[in-house]
Formats: sequence, structure tokens, C-alpha cells
Amino acid sequence: MGYFVKQKSASIQARVLISGCAEGAALVLDDTLSFWGGFNPANGEVIDVHHPQHGQRVGGRILFIPQSKGSAGTPGGIAETLRNGSGPAAFVLGERDVNISVGTLVANHLYQLNVPVVEISIEQMRQIKTGAAMTINRDGTILINR
Amino acid sequence: MVTGAVQLSELDQARLDGKLGKAMQFAMQTIVSAAHIDQADALIDISFAHIDACFYNGRAHLDFVNYMLEHGATLAVPSWTNNGLVSLNDLSVRDPLASREMNEARQLMQAYVKLGCNPVWTCAPYQLPGRPEFGAHIVGSESNAVSFYNSVIGARTNMYGDYLDVCAAITGRVPFSKLHRDEARAAQILFDVANIPSPIRDNDLFYHLLGYVIGRSCGNQVPAIIGLPSSCDEDDLKALSAAGSSAGSVPLFHAIGITPEAATLEIAFQDRQPQQVIELGIDDLQQARNELGKNSDQALAGIALGTPHFSYTEFERLVELLDGRSIHPGLVFYLTTSRHVFEQSQQHGWVESLRQAGVKIITDTCTYFSPVVNGLQGKIMTNSAKWAYYAPGMLPVDVLIGSLSECVESAVSGEVVLDQWVTS
Repeated sequence: MGYFVKQKSASIQARVLISGCAEGAALVLDDTLSFWGGFNPANGEVIDVHHPQHGQRVGGRILFIPQSKGSAGTPGGIAETLRNGSGPAAFVLGERDVNISVGTLVANHLYQLNVPVVEISIEQMRQIKTGAAMTINRDGTILINR
Repeated sequence: MVTGAVQLSELDQARLDGKLGKAMQFAMQTIVSAAHIDQADALIDISFAHIDACFYNGRAHLDFVNYMLEHGATLAVPSWTNNGLVSLNDLSVRDPLASREMNEARQLMQAYVKLGCNPVWTCAPYQLPGRPEFGAHIVGSESNAVSFYNSVIGARTNMYGDYLDVCAAITGRVPFSKLHRDEARAAQILFDVANIPSPIRDNDLFYHLLGYVIGRSCGNQVPAIIGLPSSCDEDDLKALSAAGSSAGSVPLFHAIGITPEAATLEIAFQDRQPQQVIELGIDDLQQARNELGKNSDQALAGIALGTPHFSYTEFERLVELLDGRSIHPGLVFYLTTSRHVFEQSQQHGWVESLRQAGVKIITDTCTYFSPVVNGLQGKIMTNSAKWAYYAPGMLPVDVLIGSLSECVESAVSGEVVLDQWVTS
């Protein structure tokens, strides 16, 4: 007989960059990514051959990413993947990122979407496991089901 | 939307409230969001924008500009276009009839002309008359141009991504953050090249390799370079800007005694000490050259010049170096430039003489992301670290980097010809 009380959920309060709400399973990217050149916006696949999550698809996931990198093209890659439905349900960033946020803001506006972009710390991000189910509320609360 | 604590003028508030139309409202919402994300507490006026969102990257790009046009957008400041994905002049570059994407890429470029942009279609807008002046707050987007504007001209810009560039051009406003502020412009790390022998420092390839080394090693710090020769000109500084921004992120660098915010070390470092001093030698350049491509056993298939776009003075040098000789018939030789520089060079008869020699000149775009129909494959030699860095990921090519004179001698003889210092 154990005395463990299984904790049902944990929550993190994130800083809201673009408000919205989402539900899905986490996909944690272990490195920064350029959404122009390193990502295929037609199908949501990470195509940067040097990236640890090369070959993974981001569609429908709560995407944890330290930050984007590189060129001016990232917002376009984000808006296009959200437009055609191959994009993530939400972005959770380890550092504020104007490019990911603006791409999402534009897609939300043009296509009446509700995709949130929120920011947590890199330390908090390290505790997230790919596959964990979670919801993100409009106020930036991330509820992780266990 | 989240607005945070950004101070807005009365006019900003009117824009945000939709009193100046829906396009202006959406553009202002985007600018205010960016300010909130950047934790900027104020907005400032800009006087110029270089627009990158005209470079096709999917249907969303077209939807965005069409939304702005349909809702009455106009531009608040002179706005010049970056390269497009296709050439509007030359159908042999990614034939626009070939696919839906190519048609949309063309429509996108035309939409930005309709919005009121000056259609210069160049990644080197600083080569054209009417460029921004020292101290001007502007919007740069393409990475080499951001670096050149900040470093060589002393204009002030952050690296603005797609859509934010257009929203800034529509509102005339940007967040007052990062490189717009004095304190962010101080040099932090010093690269000393004084020990590199002067024949090497006077070679144009030196600046491409130096830019690559600095991009690789400076991280997020603002680099300064000491020991550049007095022969250093804007073509050399263009090479530094482009190479640094390809191998790393270098939106601003200082060249002591050469660039406008770096008359002395003390001025460049704003009276602080360098956090690190790195002395560079020939070995560092040789290693950079090896990392940017190898002289493989394959036969040379072609030459690619003009990344970023070839300047007027580079045209002049190329004509001098070719000296009436022709490109070897087994090779392709592509050169990319802006319409403006093309016309300037045409007036001198250079375009005609280069064409007769076998050089194919392309405007509006770039050969690494805009494959020329029946164009570049196999072993290609370039004088550009940026081309060498990006092309292998996009084209079926094997790259080798060389100076302009090495590229010309190789093009004429049909096989790779290298100078002594770089082969030893």
C-alpha cells in the first residue's frame, strides 16, 4: 500500500505576449530554430538538419521553444504554417521573441485564430516533457495534466 | 490585445483606436505589441524603411499585403523593397509561369509597388542615392543591410522581421529599444587584425573571411575591429556586414578609425574596457576559407558573384580584371545586382562588354534562393562568404570561395586558379 497522492495537475504562470488559449500535447524543442530555412511551413516539419528535433512535426502541439533565430523571414514562416493548419496550437517561449509573436499576431488577425504566445523561464521549460497534456488560458496560466 | 506600459502620443492613440482606418489600426496594434514584447516604454519616429515582406514565403504574405491594401493602407515614410523571390525583369529566373508559388511571388512584388514602395528590389539599398544619414532612426530588415546601415552609415535600426517592417512603414513608428538607443551601440569585444600581413589585408577576400570569423565568435556582443588598412572601402564593409550576419548575428560592428561611431577605441567602447580581445592570424582566415568550401576534385562548373548585390565599383573592377577576355565556354557565370547599378553600368558600356564576354547579369533577386532555370549546379566558385554559406543548403552545388581576381582567372581558364597565400 502506498501513501502517494497522485498530483493531478501543476500550473505555471507565464507572461502573455500574444493572448489566446490552447489545449494539446507538448513538443519541446531543445534548441533555437529559424522558421525560414529551418522549417517547412507547408507541413510544419523541422527541416534544419543540425536541429535536435529534426524531422518532427509541430502541428497541433503546444510548442516549447527557447527562441527563434536568424533571418527576417521567421514571422512569415509562422503565419504560413498557422494559415494552412500545419502549425502549433500555442507557442511557449524561453525568452521574449518579437518575430514569433508578430507572425502569430498577423495569423490570428487574418485568419480569426486564437493562438497564444507566452513566455516562461528556461528553467521552467527544462521541466516540461514532450507529450505532456496541457491547457493554456487567456491569462497565461499553463495547466499541466499529470 | 496586450499593450503593457508603452507611452503613446495622441496620434498613436487615434491610430490604435481605428480613427485612421483599419489598416492603420492593425499596423499600430502590431507596433504596440512589439513594444510590449521588447519592454520598450516609448515609440519613436522613423524616416525610412527597407521592406523584406515582399520576399515570398507562402500565401500568408500575399494575404497580409492584400488586407492592408483593401483596408486603405498608405506608407508614412520612403520604403524601398528588398530582393524578391523572382526577377520581374528576367523570366529565366524561376519561370513565374511554372507554378502557383511563382505566380504568387510575382503578385506579392506587384502588391508592394501598389502599396507605394520604391521598387528598387535590392539587398544592397545603401548603394543607391538617397540613403539614410548618420543618426537617422530607420527600419532595416535584410541582415546585411541592417549591419551596413548601423555600422557603416551610423543610422539606427534593429533587425526587423517580416510584417513588422511594413507596419513600421505604415505608422512611421517603432519601439524605442535596443540599437535605437546609445547604450546598446557600445562595442564590447575587440578583434585585432594588425598582425595579418598587409598584402592579405588588402585582398578583397580578407573581408569575407574576417566577417565569417567574427560572426562565428562574437555571440550577442557588439564587435569592434582594429588594424584594418586605409584601403578599406564600402565594398569591403559590405562584405564584412554580409559575412558576419550569415555566420552569426552581427547587426552592428565598429571598425576603429573607419566607421562613424568609432573614431577611437574609447569612443567605440563608450569609455569602457573590451570584455575580450582576440588577435587574429592567417590561420584563422585559412580555417574560415576551408569551412566555407573546399576545392573538390570535381570540374569547375560556374561562377556566382553579387551577394549582396554587385556595386558600381565592383562592376568597374570586374571589367578591368577581365580585360577583354571571355569566360571559358564550359562554364556559367552569373552576376546579381540591382536595377539601379545595372543601369549605371550600362551607361558605361560595362553591361554590354560583360555580356559579350559570357557573363549573365540578373537583377531583382539572388542566385542562391532563386535558382536560374538550367542554372547553377556542380562545383561553383563565388567571391561571397554569404553565398558560400547559404547556397549548399538550397542548391545542388559544391562551393569554393575565392577573391574577385581568383574568380575571374578561374572563369577565363575554365579551372580553379588560386593565389599563393591562401593555398599554402
